[in-house]
Amino acid sequence: MIDTIATVERNDLTHSASTRSYGRLRLRLQQNIPVLPGQFAMLKPRAVIEPLLRRAMAFYQCHRRDDGLSVEFIYQILGRGTQALARLERGDEVEFLGALGNTYDKAAAMGSEALLVAGGAGSPALFMLAEELLQMKIPVRLFIGGASRHDLCGLDDFTALLGAGNVITATVDGTHGEKGFVTAPLERHLQENVGKPLLIFSCGPDPMLHRVSLIAADYKVPAQLSLEAPMACGFGICVGCAVAVKADVAEGFIYKKVCTDGPVFRSEHLHW
Amino acid sequence: MTENINNLLSIEVAGIRFSNPVTTASGTCGYGLDLKELIDLNKLGGIFTKGLSARPMRGNAPWRIVETHGGMLNAIGLQNIGARTFVDEKLPELKKYTTQIIPNVFGYTIDEYIEAIEILEAGSGIAAYELNISCPNVKAGGESFANNPRQAAAVTEAVKKASSRPVIVKLSPNVTDIAEVARAVEAAGADALSVINTAVGMSIDIHTRRPRLANVTGGLSGPAIKPIAVRCVFQTRRAVSIPIIGIGGIATAEDALEFIIAGASVIQVGTANFYDPSASMKIIDGLADYCRKHSLENISALVGTVQL
Repeated sequence: MIDTIATVERNDLTHSASTRSYGRLRLRLQQNIPVLPGQFAMLKPRAVIEPLLRRAMAFYQCHRRDDGLSVEFIYQILGRGTQALARLERGDEVEFLGALGNTYDKAAAMGSEALLVAGGAGSPALFMLAEELLQMKIPVRLFIGGASRHDLCGLDDFTALLGAGNVITATVDGTHGEKGFVTAPLERHLQENVGKPLLIFSCGPDPMLHRVSLIAADYKVPAQLSLEAPMACGFGICVGCAVAVKADVAEGFIYKKVCTDGPVFRSEHLHW
Repeated sequence: MTENINNLLSIEVAGIRFSNPVTTASGTCGYGLDLKELIDLNKLGGIFTKGLSARPMRGNAPWRIVETHGGMLNAIGLQNIGARTFVDEKLPELKKYTTQIIPNVFGYTIDEYIEAIEILEAGSGIAAYELNISCPNVKAGGESFANNPRQAAAVTEAVKKASSRPVIVKLSPNVTDIAEVARAVEAAGADALSVINTAVGMSIDIHTRRPRLANVTGGLSGPAIKPIAVRCVFQTRRAVSIPIIGIGGIATAEDALEFIIAGASVIQVGTANFYDPSASMKIIDGLADYCRKHSLENISALVGTVQL
């Protein structure tokens, strides 16, 4: 974990009047820090008063250089924090704290087909995982969904990496792939492959993750879910990012921290 | 250089020698160790730990935090590992650092405060206790100890009897007259006061019309509350003679200096730890620079020197 100043290499915005807007931010770090799939950084433009808090952003891609590291993030432009990120231009400075959080248990996927289930702005947290699973010779299939085709974040990169045959899309408005939620083709795949070793890795909105966890339980397929929660610090001291995790106590659960105990949790451990 | 900073900034409060007046506030630095990768804990004047109760607490349901303009609301629900686990698992490593360790303690009855203090009395390496008295007193109708001078004095007096260490009482700004509470707590034997705890606030999502915090209300902290906190330190300074520890939105050396001039001998950095983990280190260096620039032999010469 380092607290440093990064420099903006690029910040490409996808603005659309009718749908959500996204930014793709590439930062340059002087230090070649280790970054694991699923980890995140806390970011905000340097020395600004508003927003006060840095924003948690999952690493999308990392490019190692001789003299440092370039890291990429895809963010949905939602509130003051992400609007401030959207105003960044090449050469601007960004307060960077990272890399934070745990990572996926990739070894658990040995001998299985890895099913990546991505929703909306959650997909970037699965890209480096896909790269590393392929390096481990583990077959990877991506189910990626969103409200509309604009919301399938990183679709072109995923398709180039995995091949079009291994990318299944679904959109609520039917503008790309199957019309509806991405959990429908996921469930069909599980039905068609009962008895085969499968492992789910998923990141996306809470309702989608909840549905994934129910489907995974129905088909007895293990699932690792990457969660999102509002957090002030990202390294365990604010205790704002609570998530209920099953525990052997009277209430049946305790609160864990998404930032340092996660963001990746085993589906069966979560108390929905 | 370090020795020079110590000469300029070393200050004694309630019999505790702080290497400098910069400490981290309860609830914004975990149990101290959580910051060790990011700052030099030995350089800090002191660490006020996350609030500890006699038994562990689970905390509130999410959402627990929401950012506001220049600040944030929190309703963590005092989630903590309990005084026993702190003494057994955190204190042994924490006390290796030269900084002053001050556990923050709370309860929902006076007996619960005493129970927590008795557990902590068994630990070594603790400089003092800070009492969070903003909790509801469940045996007195649920009104916060901090809102009622008599209740605030009662818990202070009981803890003083149970403690071999100095007792610092953390006052709430959510009162009509903070000076009255300060005087009551001083008369009950408090060794120092922390001024202030968070200001109660609320935020509503206009689309769902629901509060943004599951707890409905929360404590407002950050730069937004700094003027309220400076005013409270100033009013408290005029009301009591025991030392004051200033807190509320301090993020820079200039912020810290305002509190010191208003009457604080020591200051706590709180919410800034979240968004600028090295803020406390920069504040220490900034205070030393100010002393040099203004030819102050020691920062204590500045305490309470506001010109009216």
